[in-house]
Amino acid sequence: MAPSSSSGLTFKLHPLVIVNISDHYTRVKTQLNPPASICASGHGSNNGEAMIQQNPRVYGCVIGVQRGRTVEIFNSFELLYDPSTQTLDRSFLEKKQELYKKVFPDFYILGWYSTGSDAEESDMHIHRALMDINESPVYVLLNPAINHAQKDLPVTIYESELHVIDGIPQLIFVHTSYTIETVEAERISVDHVAHLKPSDGGSAATQLAAHLTGIHSAIKMLNSRIRVLYQYLAAMQKDDIPCDNSLLRQVSSLLRRLPAMESERFQDNFLMEYNDKLLITYLAMITTCSSNMNEMVDKFNTAYDRNTRRGGRTAFM
Amino acid sequence: MDIEQKQAEIIDQLVKRASTCKSEALGPLIIEATSHPSLFAFSEILALPNVAQLEGTTDSVYLDLLRLFAHGTWGDYKCNATRLPHLSPDQILKLKQLTVLTLAESNKVLPYDTLMVELDVSNVRELEDFLINECMYAGIVRGKLDQLKRCFEVPFAAGRDLRPGQLGNMLHTLSNWLNTSENLLISIQDKIKWADNMSEMDKKHRKEAEEGVEEVKKSLSMKRE
Repeated sequence: MAPSSSSGLTFKLHPLVIVNISDHYTRVKTQLNPPASICASGHGSNNGEAMIQQNPRVYGCVIGVQRGRTVEIFNSFELLYDPSTQTLDRSFLEKKQELYKKVFPDFYILGWYSTGSDAEESDMHIHRALMDINESPVYVLLNPAINHAQKDLPVTIYESELHVIDGIPQLIFVHTSYTIETVEAERISVDHVAHLKPSDGGSAATQLAAHLTGIHSAIKMLNSRIRVLYQYLAAMQKDDIPCDNSLLRQVSSLLRRLPAMESERFQDNFLMEYNDKLLITYLAMITTCSSNMNEMVDKFNTAYDRNTRRGGRTAFM
Repeated sequence: MDIEQKQAEIIDQLVKRASTCKSEALGPLIIEATSHPSLFAFSEILALPNVAQLEGTTDSVYLDLLRLFAHGTWGDYKCNATRLPHLSPDQILKLKQLTVLTLAESNKVLPYDTLMVELDVSNVRELEDFLINECMYAGIVRGKLDQLKRCFEVPFAAGRDLRPGQLGNMLHTLSNWLNTSENLLISIQDKIKWADNMSEMDKKHRKEAEEGVEEVKKSLSMKRE
């Protein structure tokens, strides 16, 4: 159902849109299935309803800028979907469009989004409805199923094209490729989300483990890339592949950058900082120990010291 | 890297022209290649069969010149100045630039004195001008000039053409790098395990201490009764 697009447009997607869509979906899903009653809803209703309840489809509009052959999708907002007529609420859409126009005068409605695993036939109706606002809307589909093995984003962008099938020209969805484009503010927030530490993992060990795991995966990636270079050079030496001099030059200039840090100043500074940190940790430890000791001695004195006090003090035990 | 991209077109053009023209015309072509301001890579031209044929003929000086530009330095030129054709100022400049690249191959920190000797410059001002204008603005090196210590720190220098033996060295360096990073990965994993173990032990210790306190409290309350 989704061959590749041939329109030649390049699509750039901002992470804000992806976060908005997933946020919308999560909110609707949580509102439909409040955590306390998930078990109840599973038994009582019939299967069809339960399915829809557990995986609601949300709909919304994407807006952005189209410059020449580049379509850049900046933002999105939610829309009301009327399941009985299978259309989107038109007046709501227009009202929202006006509001957004006031704040972002450059942004046009570029298309719409939805969640699900694959594009369906009913989506074509909505697509056609939007075609009077934008003559070639885009359809952004987010697959909310979490798949840990998958490395790419579960977001697909479809365009509509007129294909002749069985002699009848029909509009069908075709797959287009897209790139992710970020503004500095978006990059900071995505980075922040990626580095979320568990809020109850206050203990030093879990934080240390998380930090080290991050470094570990970074070095693993570096390792795999160096291995690729190594195998490439080895093959070149055995004459399995023709010598590419420009590449060899680049590799030699890269290798010359190792070792990255060798001056004595670095060693001195590094050792000094290391010693400072150790000293401070030691000092903090000594302070805690001495305060604990102090407390213990006080308690000991209060508990066992009644022999030296004459008059007035009764025994505690 | 950008230098390679800049050079790629020039190299393609020259290679096409060199492969089509005859051996007499190769001489001027080589001279043009060696004076071109953005061209620092000559091994593609060296690899052409027409150029290799120049060996042993009257024009073999041009081949030697090309080889000098591919692998040699200004010092090499001065030693062999009698055998090689006279260089134009453009070529002299280029050869000096290539000399800086070769020096950057062995050390990352180049003292001014070495540079002055290698490049035949007498004062620091000229040396610094040369380094800034010809090398850094051309993009072949990136670095910092340290006037107090009189040295030039080079974290990045573009690659020169490879001598035949250098490929083995590069493989060796790469394999060392691989081994080091693998060892690093292993030690990081060990550290993670250590951190987890330590936190486990700490929790156990804390629990034991609390249990001891509970027991003492119970025994005390029982004694009272």
